[in-house]
Amino acid sequence: MKNANQVADGYRIRRRKLLKAGGVAVALPLLSSLSRKETEAGWVSEEVGTTSTGAPLRMAFMSIPNGVQQDHWFPTEDFQLNESMKPLEKLKEHFQVIGGLDHINATAGPDGAGDHARASATFLTGMRARKTAGSDIHVGVSVDQVAAQSMKNRTRLPSLELTSDVVRNSGSCDSGYACAYQYNLAWSSPSTPVTPESNPRQVFERLFGAGAPQERAENFAKRQASDRSVLDFVLEESRTVQRDLGSQDKRKFDEYFSVVRDFEKRLKSAEEFREPPQTAADTPSGIPHDFAEYMSLMYDMLLLAFQTDSTRIGTLLLAYDGSNRIFPQLGVPEGHHYLTHNQRVPELAKKVAKIDEYYLSSFASFLDKMSKIEDIDGHSLLHNSMIIYGGAIADGNRHTHENLPVILAGNGGGSIKSGRFVRADKQPMSNLFVSMLNRFGVHVDQFGDSNGSLDEVV
Amino acid sequence: MLRQIGMMTLFLIGITPHHRSDAQETKRREPLHEEVLTIIKDSCVSCHSGEKAEGGLDLDAFQTTEDAAQEPQVWWKVLKNIHAGTMPPEGEPRLSAEQKQKVGYWVKSHVFGLDRENLDPGNSVVRRLNRVEYGNTLSDLMGIRFDSTVLFPPDDSGHGFDNLGDALTFSPLLLEKYLLAARQVVDQSVPTVSKIIPRMEFSGRDFERTKGDSRGNVLDGKMEHHVEKSVTMEEPGEYVVHVDVKLHGSFDFDPARYRVEFAIDNEMRSDEEYGWDENKLVSKRFQENWKEGEHRLSFRLTPVSTEKGEAKEAANQDGTHVRFEIASIIVEGPLETNKRVHPRNYERFFTRDEPPASIEEKRLYAAEVLRRFANRAYRYPVDSVTVDRMVQVAEEHYRQPNVTFESGIAQAMVCILASPRFLFRMESSALPNTTQSNGTTPRFGMVDEWTLASRLSYFIWSTMPDDELFQLAQEGRLRAQLPQQVKRMMRDPRSQQFVGNFVGQWLRTRDVTQTSIDPIVVLGFQKEYDELREQFRGRFRRRGQGDFISPEDEKQRTRFRELRDIADRFNADLKRAIRRETEMCFEYIVREDQSLLDLIDCNYTFLNERLAQHYSIPGVRGDEMRRVELPPDSPRGGVLTHASMLLVTSNPTRTSPVKRGLYILDNLLGTPAPPAPGPVPELEDSAEKFGGREPSLRELLSVHRESPLCASCHSRMDPLGLALENFNALGMWRDEEKGNPIDPSGKLITGETFSDLKGLKTLLRKDHSSDFYRCITQKLLTFAIGRGLEFTDEQTIDLIVEKVQEDDGKFSALLQGIVESAPFQKRRFATTSLTHKE
Repeated sequence: MKNANQVADGYRIRRRKLLKAGGVAVALPLLSSLSRKETEAGWVSEEVGTTSTGAPLRMAFMSIPNGVQQDHWFPTEDFQLNESMKPLEKLKEHFQVIGGLDHINATAGPDGAGDHARASATFLTGMRARKTAGSDIHVGVSVDQVAAQSMKNRTRLPSLELTSDVVRNSGSCDSGYACAYQYNLAWSSPSTPVTPESNPRQVFERLFGAGAPQERAENFAKRQASDRSVLDFVLEESRTVQRDLGSQDKRKFDEYFSVVRDFEKRLKSAEEFREPPQTAADTPSGIPHDFAEYMSLMYDMLLLAFQTDSTRIGTLLLAYDGSNRIFPQLGVPEGHHYLTHNQRVPELAKKVAKIDEYYLSSFASFLDKMSKIEDIDGHSLLHNSMIIYGGAIADGNRHTHENLPVILAGNGGGSIKSGRFVRADKQPMSNLFVSMLNRFGVHVDQFGDSNGSLDEVV
Repeated sequence: MLRQIGMMTLFLIGITPHHRSDAQETKRREPLHEEVLTIIKDSCVSCHSGEKAEGGLDLDAFQTTEDAAQEPQVWWKVLKNIHAGTMPPEGEPRLSAEQKQKVGYWVKSHVFGLDRENLDPGNSVVRRLNRVEYGNTLSDLMGIRFDSTVLFPPDDSGHGFDNLGDALTFSPLLLEKYLLAARQVVDQSVPTVSKIIPRMEFSGRDFERTKGDSRGNVLDGKMEHHVEKSVTMEEPGEYVVHVDVKLHGSFDFDPARYRVEFAIDNEMRSDEEYGWDENKLVSKRFQENWKEGEHRLSFRLTPVSTEKGEAKEAANQDGTHVRFEIASIIVEGPLETNKRVHPRNYERFFTRDEPPASIEEKRLYAAEVLRRFANRAYRYPVDSVTVDRMVQVAEEHYRQPNVTFESGIAQAMVCILASPRFLFRMESSALPNTTQSNGTTPRFGMVDEWTLASRLSYFIWSTMPDDELFQLAQEGRLRAQLPQQVKRMMRDPRSQQFVGNFVGQWLRTRDVTQTSIDPIVVLGFQKEYDELREQFRGRFRRRGQGDFISPEDEKQRTRFRELRDIADRFNADLKRAIRRETEMCFEYIVREDQSLLDLIDCNYTFLNERLAQHYSIPGVRGDEMRRVELPPDSPRGGVLTHASMLLVTSNPTRTSPVKRGLYILDNLLGTPAPPAPGPVPELEDSAEKFGGREPSLRELLSVHRESPLCASCHSRMDPLGLALENFNALGMWRDEEKGNPIDPSGKLITGETFSDLKGLKTLLRKDHSSDFYRCITQKLLTFAIGRGLEFTDEQTIDLIVEKVQEDDGKFSALLQGIVESAPFQKRRFATTSLTHKE
């Protein structure tokens, strides 16, 4: 029998660091086969979600809760990084910080309390959430979903919604707002949030199939075949049901029916993909206890999805806005939300800055990996991406929504600059989304509360 | 200061009703209007008129009843404020009960147009089963345990509950999961052959422990265990024993190893050493030639001692673990038997011993089996067209070579479980076939018996109806037997779901286990603890094996461990007891039909030793939770003093009187704070204000209330929360906070004063019982009908509250009131569209 300690030592390196920078632990992606498909179909670089070299262009949005400690976060005019941003020091050339963006629709206006829920709903939609405890939820379509809907199933998944926050409080959510506003970033219609997945194992199996690496392809295919055979019946049933429903119910049922129909289309176009994507990475076992590992695992899932071109659009809700998470590992026993209302007490402000740094270091290692993985056109994955990191609250103490913390990482396939701090003084955040959508190949003049674009700035 | 009354002469006079019934018209001419007009003139108009009307409410805008009827939402707010006693504000003359009632009557009947004799059930919306209901329904339908929380994300809640039709949205992710779960569950539960060799199946749960105390079927690899299980065979012969075990480990690696011996009739069959692993399955198969009679299977687990004792201790400190699970044992045989049997669950789905041979017969049998299943799955009789569709699916499948009839049926069942008619609660009411006497078509009617059966079962059990409910619905006798059925359902163990889901969300006991309160900080040991930890760590690292430990070191080490023990006391077991205390109090009130007011104040609670110790209540021994009469001088009793409430409203390091106050307003008194005004001004100077001294929470909050802007909300919340300051963030009693003695006295927004918590509780129980009845009625009605309440529900609520009041607050009156209410019994007809401006 093997010596117990030897086996043990083999595992001593912290396990489940799924991806190592440089893609050591990752099989080369299937991009070659995909690019072939693209050529067959005659797609050109003008297509949605494609760079000028014909490589996939990706778009991702990460949201952090409770604003940031501004004086520790924003860099200097000449891009000297501030304390909280230290983890990004080595990656300076790959991102820019954009100052002066606002989300006016996240402000109280006539709606009163509930700033966290409201901000969270506004973050990617640019719209004002209707204040309702649940009866008539309404905000707007989010920027990622606008892009996803234009992709028309050219990837296996139109988009991937993730979260690394499983804490849910019972009872009412933030001051009279329905919980949907607080726990979802993506909205496929003004009244339909797109549920994020919190279990890394489920994400992985959704992307690559369940089971051991050699069984995954088969399991993946089986699942697809099963879904296909069941879906015909489900569609028939849905038609019958819809005929019998009253108007009020119909509205609600349509939400379901359209998801079913979209899924049918998706399955149809999936038939064109020759083989399911593969990766040598281990299937994650579940949700890690340690929050940094959890975030890192979810970042890895997004990265794997990008790398295998399973999708080009993703959102990751790192923690829901208003999160009162504790960080004992940083010597912060107080809750995050409680701390942000620190009444300018310097020691407490420092702690908030530490938490901001903690979130950023996880983001930094994601960017690092993205920068070291080569895409089909020889550029890095990061180069061929547009990644937003930020939130719709600027200062967590006073709940302001002007001068939001916003990082734009990646070069959008060469169309976006990086390595600098720019100011977009007093422009809606939505202007940035307009520019991003246009660079993604979705031509829009207007999004959310935009009043122009940020083309000159970005 | 009173302003001149202007403009009000026309108010409410010019009544020109339209589309009202004669009966209502008569009501409108009652002299009540004059009285109501006078009340409003005297008590409201001085502030609420003109351009600068308080709170943006300009009553001048309402010149006629019709004007008012155009703005039901505004009048709904008026009604709420009058109910809660927040208007007229403190300092102004209060409305008498009679005056309140008069205004209420007028608003409900004339502004809202509600007909007391024939109440509108309001809008209802098709509801998706939520995660809990879906899991329970699948489990009951398929005869397995299906834990939906593993695969499904939590549902978004609305109006405080996660079973709200409008808030239960649908997304691509969910669709994929429903498809996957349907397949998995059918694979797991529906037999695909008619006959098999006899087999017995069991898991570690069925083993008896002769040593060790691990829960369930998972054994801690760091402790010694010996478990065994006897099986009795009726026939001698060849048997196969399949043993599946699983190796588990914490997320981080743990070096511990253990040895597992497996024996049959005391003869060793396998002896292996295992260690940390990630849900790894190890399967073994043993063929045995057995005599008839008893045979014994046993496992012995022994930790393998490592030389480095300290490494083991360190591993324990990190909270890592290794675990061994006896996942499944199957004893199959005798192999040569000709007495083959049905597989498990066969009779649940199939009615004949074996499927028939002919194609035609098979088709008929498939229709029978699938109809029987679908009626239950859809909670509604299915029509023949649908059955044909299902049979077609099955037939296409079982007609293929080497595919059994049962597999075909299973395939159709996957489809049924993925159908929207399974995933959603389809409701219907008998369609109107007559016009009413006045020539109009009725807009709503009673729901049919099947719908009623589902409404009851999802309300009280959070799952599908059982056979008895189905049977009664089938016979059309359910409505007639409603009271008996409700009683039966409440006695059924499934009503535990009601407690967990309703109380879990209403009083937030579901959140207890996920709260992270830091006991070391809350109890004021942080500095000492941090210092000791640093010292201890440094010394521990430097110290070699066998070094001398000084008495001083030893003392510090003891103290350090003491502090750690204090922190450890606040563990999962205590949190479970905390959650159960509140749930059991509610259960007690429900089962013993006590007054609901006991939730506000009473002289008993539910404790085990752990929780009693936490509360410093002597004389409670053991783990079992039981009812305890509280000593007369005890501050406990009632939800306000439950650690559950005190915990979930606290921050990780301190209490939050604001959150506690809000909890009381939201969940007990039903007086939600008004929306906060615009941008909240920063309390810039609050830190300096106290001259460097750390202010008490009361002092800090008093700053809040100096500004009228803040005061509008905080004067409602803070006094309630501050009355509970004698309980720290862990819910333990304290007399002072950071050296400041605690002052629990205060004044309610409605003007009454109290000197401490006992006073507050007495006040609430005595003078605010109707607020509380109203609040719990609203909560329970929301939970029962799965939608947010509207102004159209005001009359329904009043009727229930009246009943509860007449019956001295008994829970049965509340439950009966809900079940018999219009929104629960009726439904608007399909063609009805929105009639009220919203």
